[in-house]
Amino acid sequence: MNYQKREIKKGINLHQINTENYKTNLYAVFLATPLARGEVTLNALLGAVLRRGTANLKSQEQISKELEDMYGASFNCGVEKTGDNHILKFYLETLSEEFLPQPEKLNQKCLGILFDIVFNPLIINNAFNPEYVEGEKKNLKQIIEAKIDNKAKYAYDRCIEEMFKNKPYGLYKFGYVEDIEKITPEQLYDYYKKLINNCKIDIFCSGSLNNEELLANVEENENIKKLQGREPKYVVNNEVTEKKEPTQENTVEESMQVTQGKLVIGLDIQNTEENSRFIASVYNAVLGGGANSKLFQNVREKQSLAYTAGSSYLRTKNALFIRCGIEIKNYQKALETIKEQLEDMKNGNFSEEDLENSKKLILASIDSVTEEQDTEITYYYGQELSDRFVTIEKYKKYISEVSKENVKDLANTIKINTIYFLKD
Amino acid sequence: MKVIESLKIKEKAYIEKLENGMKIIIIPKKNTKKKYVIWGTHFGSIDNRFIMPQTGEEVFIPDGVAHFLEHKMFEQPDGTNSLDTLMALGLDANAYTTNDHTAYLFECTDNFYEGLDELMDYVQHPYFTDENVEKEKGIIGQEINMYDDDPGWQLYINIMDCLYKDNPIKLDIAGSIESISKITPDVLYKCYNTFYHPSNMVMVLCGDFEPENLLQEVKNRLIPKENQGEIKRIYPQKENSINKAEKTAQMEVSLPMFMMGFKDIENSAENRIQKHIAIEILLNMLIGKSSDLYKELYENGILLAQPELDYEWSHEYAHVLISGFSQKPELVKQKIDEAISQMQKEGLNEENFSRIKRKIYGDYVIEYNSVANIGRMFLADSMKGINSFDYIEDFETVTKEYTQNVLNDIFKKENEAISIIKPN
Repeated sequence: MNYQKREIKKGINLHQINTENYKTNLYAVFLATPLARGEVTLNALLGAVLRRGTANLKSQEQISKELEDMYGASFNCGVEKTGDNHILKFYLETLSEEFLPQPEKLNQKCLGILFDIVFNPLIINNAFNPEYVEGEKKNLKQIIEAKIDNKAKYAYDRCIEEMFKNKPYGLYKFGYVEDIEKITPEQLYDYYKKLINNCKIDIFCSGSLNNEELLANVEENENIKKLQGREPKYVVNNEVTEKKEPTQENTVEESMQVTQGKLVIGLDIQNTEENSRFIASVYNAVLGGGANSKLFQNVREKQSLAYTAGSSYLRTKNALFIRCGIEIKNYQKALETIKEQLEDMKNGNFSEEDLENSKKLILASIDSVTEEQDTEITYYYGQELSDRFVTIEKYKKYISEVSKENVKDLANTIKINTIYFLKD
Repeated sequence: MKVIESLKIKEKAYIEKLENGMKIIIIPKKNTKKKYVIWGTHFGSIDNRFIMPQTGEEVFIPDGVAHFLEHKMFEQPDGTNSLDTLMALGLDANAYTTNDHTAYLFECTDNFYEGLDELMDYVQHPYFTDENVEKEKGIIGQEINMYDDDPGWQLYINIMDCLYKDNPIKLDIAGSIESISKITPDVLYKCYNTFYHPSNMVMVLCGDFEPENLLQEVKNRLIPKENQGEIKRIYPQKENSINKAEKTAQMEVSLPMFMMGFKDIENSAENRIQKHIAIEILLNMLIGKSSDLYKELYENGILLAQPELDYEWSHEYAHVLISGFSQKPELVKQKIDEAISQMQKEGLNEENFSRIKRKIYGDYVIEYNSVANIGRMFLADSMKGINSFDYIEDFETVTKEYTQNVLNDIFKKENEAISIIKPN
């Protein structure tokens, strides 16, 4: 196998993916901490402030110049929700040394800059640079306010918010405008220290890598040496942990200036058996996975009710989401058609062929995990966080074994939780 | 087959021009599981007036035909849809229409030749009836509505309206509800028979292939067709100025969006690639992450992120685009204009120039990370009559002096316009 994991210190792991498929090496640092109302805004702000400058490269401009000089190495950071965790993600991608126009050493320098950004920030008088914090507070406010710009995404986020009301997963990953104002550079730095000392830290390296050299570049890095081992605080989510309380179907309608309505339906999966995630994946593919799926065929093709119609499976929360872009006047008809499809699934009204096609779709997407560097990293990180390690080969085997009966049984444990409709 | 090679990035392309005029490009990639094929016709939304080589008839078509035709190609006489058939094989299939070409593609790990059977079958067998054309109008109407709600798309269409008076690039690729209502099977067949002739088509294949064998496989699936003369496309005369300097619209967005454009009036056929590279260097020097201007605008909260930078061109149009979000789009424009004048007056900084040049090299190499990127890139470049490797090879030849000349030639005040979307 091309993947190996090593513990650097307690709660800090180095994951190495050896591959010759790319022109690039990709390095990533992920910090995981439980989602909490009081901390989401701090986390979102933190990532933004960290990329502004380090103790060595004091401004964004200096960082950019270093990266450009390394043949346009690119740095990226962001926050994600994975299950009930908030993840701060930092990536650095650089050309593999083999493809430079003239020989140069980039790997050590690259990791050095990435670690510098995450673990060695620019600190002034026991606080972050106030100018950076103020600037990023303004930016974050605008990012949060911009959530209405992409209507499809907005409708999806709103459905999640309604479905997980007062629960960690219902929190918005960029936080809340009302929490931004009161954050001070001192307070943010205090929070940073607490986070860095307690969170789960995972370092991923993918590309054409020499094992010893990589380990040395990580272990002997001053910033890594400074870190203490820890009992990492984070939440393990998988299909077994996500017990659902029975709920009433909740309908939420909102109005905005749109010509196309956005319908999002959130569904709970009540089945919490080990490995039911493989069945749920197949269920999702049959229902709304692609152009052959029931939703696409019936909502879009047969009735011309929608341009987009599909579903997605949120493994960490054992939930499903149906998403359609529809003409507003077709709301009732689209909803009825969707509900018919859900009933069909319960009654096993789909063919063996549908099932096989859906599995092929999933198997193809699993095969392609190793064809994109960040996807491969995300695959292994997802397993790490959910405490369910399955190799790609095993994963494919489990998918292949799912039967029509399995899917039908699972269908009967699925219930609509929230119907969200964005209209004019 | 003709072989071209890029030693720097260790890739080769095998190229064959068949007797019927079709061009086939094969880029073998060892060790990748994914295979990608894309088959394109040099027929896009700007080709709305032409002379049919078979009959000499001059044809005007309603806006949106190329895109409509793309949708309709999937439909088969037996009621099946080729997109479904491809998906059922576990392939990731799709199609798209741009200003200057239409492409049919799929990506897969298994079942490549089964997929190739289907792809080459449906693209060579049109089936249009009054009934299936009518039905499609509903689906495409939804797609047009979706674009109407998309601020990013409106921003783009509006800048095209500023830069061009009569050039069909300013048309919506999908047309309008009104224009597509005029589409009939007869129009579709006329366009199909003209533009889907092998002599107007290019196929690019990328993956772990043996080129000679693959070439034979493709040839075996081609239906013999009589040779066709050149298609005479009729475009409006080249325009010597822009249409208007400014267009503003209001939509439901949180932050104003801007897109600045510089029309490359000359658009000469010489040094296309060097010019493109020089423009990318200039844009990065002007407002890239390490530029003084970006630093100033970011620190003052006027820009939230580096603007998107682009140079789009074909033989019929060419323009530079700079786009992003800002509370003060007019100020951004003013600052960019000032920085351009300054660069024109003072000349390019040597250190910045060579650093950005290294960055641009990295950007080009990263394109070779995925078979899909490679396929799309070779197809799009081939439609413009260029070879993608030239970006890597010609990179060295772009000098500071040449880049300075490009700056003076293209970034002219009188050829500049701005499109703005403001919040309601």
